[in-house]
Amino acid sequence: MERTFFTPKEARYPNNQSNGHYQLEMQSTNQPQSSHTSTSRSSDSGEPCGDGKWASKLLRECARAITEKDSAKIHHLLWMLNELASPYGDCDQKLASYFLQALFCKATESGQRCFKTLTSVAEKSHSFDSARKLILKFQEVSPWTTFGHVASNGAILEALEGESKLHIIDISDTLCTQWPTLLEALATRNDETPHLKLTVVVTASIVRSVMKEISQRMEKFARLMGVPFEFNVISGLNSLGELTKEALGVLEDEAIAVNCIGALRKIEVEERGDVVRMLRSLHPRVVTVVEEEADFSSFKNDFVKCFEECLRFYTLYFEMLEESFVPTSNERLMLERECSRSMVRVLACEDEKGHDGDCERRERGSQWSERLKEAFSPVGFSDDCVDDVKALLKRYRTGWSHVLTQGDDSSGIYLTWKDEAVVWASAWKP
Amino acid sequence: MLENMADGAISNGFTQNQIAGYNPPPLKKKRNLPGTPGKLLSLSLSLSLSLSLSLSFSLSLPFYDDPEAEVIALSPKTLMATNRFLCEICGKGFQRDQNLQLHRRGHNLPWKLKQRTSKEVRKRVYVCPEKSCVHNHPSRALGDLTGIKKHFCRKHGEKKWKCEKCAKRYAVQSDCKAHSKTCGTREYKCDCGTIFSRRDSFITHRAFCDALAEETARVNAVSNINDAAAAGNNINYHIMGASLVPSMPPHFASIFKPVQGNHRIIDSTRPEHTLWMNQEVYTDPIISCSNPPPSDYQLSWVLGNKDASSNAEELASVTGVGSQLVSVPSLFSTQTVNVSHQTPSANMSATALLQKAAQIGATSSDPSFLGSFGVKCSSNQVQDGNKYCGLYGTSSISTGLGSDVESSVNDLSTLNQLQMYPSKRRHIQNEDCTTTGGQTRDFLGVG
Repeated sequence: MERTFFTPKEARYPNNQSNGHYQLEMQSTNQPQSSHTSTSRSSDSGEPCGDGKWASKLLRECARAITEKDSAKIHHLLWMLNELASPYGDCDQKLASYFLQALFCKATESGQRCFKTLTSVAEKSHSFDSARKLILKFQEVSPWTTFGHVASNGAILEALEGESKLHIIDISDTLCTQWPTLLEALATRNDETPHLKLTVVVTASIVRSVMKEISQRMEKFARLMGVPFEFNVISGLNSLGELTKEALGVLEDEAIAVNCIGALRKIEVEERGDVVRMLRSLHPRVVTVVEEEADFSSFKNDFVKCFEECLRFYTLYFEMLEESFVPTSNERLMLERECSRSMVRVLACEDEKGHDGDCERRERGSQWSERLKEAFSPVGFSDDCVDDVKALLKRYRTGWSHVLTQGDDSSGIYLTWKDEAVVWASAWKP
Repeated sequence: MLENMADGAISNGFTQNQIAGYNPPPLKKKRNLPGTPGKLLSLSLSLSLSLSLSLSFSLSLPFYDDPEAEVIALSPKTLMATNRFLCEICGKGFQRDQNLQLHRRGHNLPWKLKQRTSKEVRKRVYVCPEKSCVHNHPSRALGDLTGIKKHFCRKHGEKKWKCEKCAKRYAVQSDCKAHSKTCGTREYKCDCGTIFSRRDSFITHRAFCDALAEETARVNAVSNINDAAAAGNNINYHIMGASLVPSMPPHFASIFKPVQGNHRIIDSTRPEHTLWMNQEVYTDPIISCSNPPPSDYQLSWVLGNKDASSNAEELASVTGVGSQLVSVPSLFSTQTVNVSHQTPSANMSATALLQKAAQIGATSSDPSFLGSFGVKCSSNQVQDGNKYCGLYGTSSISTGLGSDVESSVNDLSTLNQLQMYPSKRRHIQNEDCTTTGGQTRDFLGVG
């Protein structure tokens, strides 16, 4: 049975099989005859890897094999990954597990089906309580999302200062966790508390089902804060390009702010320019954009490069999750599973028009800036806002920092994790 | 002397110490004070130099309420200068007048020159050099030099000092230091019992917390905001949570809202509990059938099923609801509420027993008996259900389908609680409304 997985070349076996560590050995050298045991693991290429980062090596190998259409190798590597991977193990094992799924789908061209299955499974186990718990816990242990919230709220409050009728269009899946602090600021900052209308545009189908509950909570909270409040939800769009002024309920006397958190990446790449123009047509005072810093769209046609970037980004993300949550955290598990859907979507699905807003092709801040500059000009974050961000980061574990950029090619503020930029936040005006 | 003035609360201190009968304009909650309604003065400017102000250009303006007081208007530069007090003999500068006097003694001045000029005996009040400021006007001058300095910095100055922990900015160093002492030590407690050290996470949690009490809290909140804002920006949520006035809420909707989302109504035709407890499966049809118009409240009770273990789970959640309900009155008392979503085990055993009993009873129940109560454990019971609902004048607790009626301690306790507030309830028109029947039944069996 092993023969089918092994190339005819001779194989070496790992010295240390505990914890999934093993060594890839060069095939040319000494091959002891005792090597054909049933627990053999080997690879027919690769350098010795002593630091335990076996997953990335194997995964890259596999990606390459898929591009080369070397089916024996593909089988081999998939089998090995399968042996070593586990969604409940350490970082490497997890990455191996989830990427394995994506690679398998790619190799067997079953990405679409797999993605649909994963999505429906997630929808079934999704509820207001679980979603709330998840997102609040994540925000408690990591500034990954709250960074964008704080920066955006600061920019919005400043841009809408003095207005009495505010209309914020929230295109995100944050379940409105950004808004309580904004409501509180509106209630306490000014003499006259303005009227706030919040229109949430939901992209993920998973989020849709809980929006009813969310709307009740938000309305209640706004009453508590004493802020005149109106709440609307728009869901069921096939693409953000379908949004219109009328659909959003934009009125002439309102001061508009558009808040896009992780929203632009959900748009199919070809339609992104159109959506930017549509946003411009709403005449907002400010548009806040927060996106994760990764480039999954430049190399759409080069699988290996795209894969490398995915691997880099998700390795960072998983490591961040591992260090932020307690080891037994259920929330972390759920977040990792969400990633697996994204991975399958990016790596194994063909982009088609008319998808339900689930494109996950991220772009870097500089790339988004290029797009946004067509219709908007950047607004720098004020010192107060940056101070708020700094104070926010101080409240979390070490490792988090921020970087400001003002320049021609990009603008905004980056959240960095161990000196790697991970999230980009920016503000724009027409 | 004026005590150190809190931000924005200047006029109070001023009033006490300075001028009897002077009423400052009412202070709004925010930083931008309105202009003084003040009377128009005809200003007669006369220059008067005092020793300590040799660097400045100062005006002597009539201070309206105390004509004897000398109103000094310093330029911003002078105000902020650190060595304002200069020795006329050697030119050395000092931060404080006392220091200057001490120094002057060292010069062995002849007696005459040692005395201060008569002018210096006059009461000095200072105006803020910022033209647009309300304190620019002599009628609203401040008597304390340090005070006017701090005021000028706070209102019109650059905020150079920052709290390390929360990045709050201050123009006056002493303000910043004072804040740093208390920053981060303040704890916020939510109604549900969770404590937070971070304000932003407290706010976000509160917005989504199940224990969010609505109308009564709002009144307190708004008034608290108005009060608290004068003293600073911290809203004391703790106060809000703890001081809810006992009163009848118009609806209990807000309290019980989460319930309808949380509990799935189990169809009697479904034999199994699909993980609803842990995984909280939601499907739209179920929500729609259990969902009354939003302004009504509703408790959706999940009926027991054949499976005893899953019943226990169910019960746990139902008793979880029950415990929520039981503790509701305390939300409107001054105790802090600890609404626990964990079912205390004592309840569990009692209710488990009762539940089992109900089960046993239900399976052997005589349909006609049920019919005689006018309660059928299937859909389309609006009429009869309402009859019972009406009987208790209170709740209509909608239940799931199924032949097992959840008649347990929960029902009783719930209904008792609910009966306390009969007039405020609305009936929920729903196809499933059976519980009250449970109360009339023998607990040992439906029959």
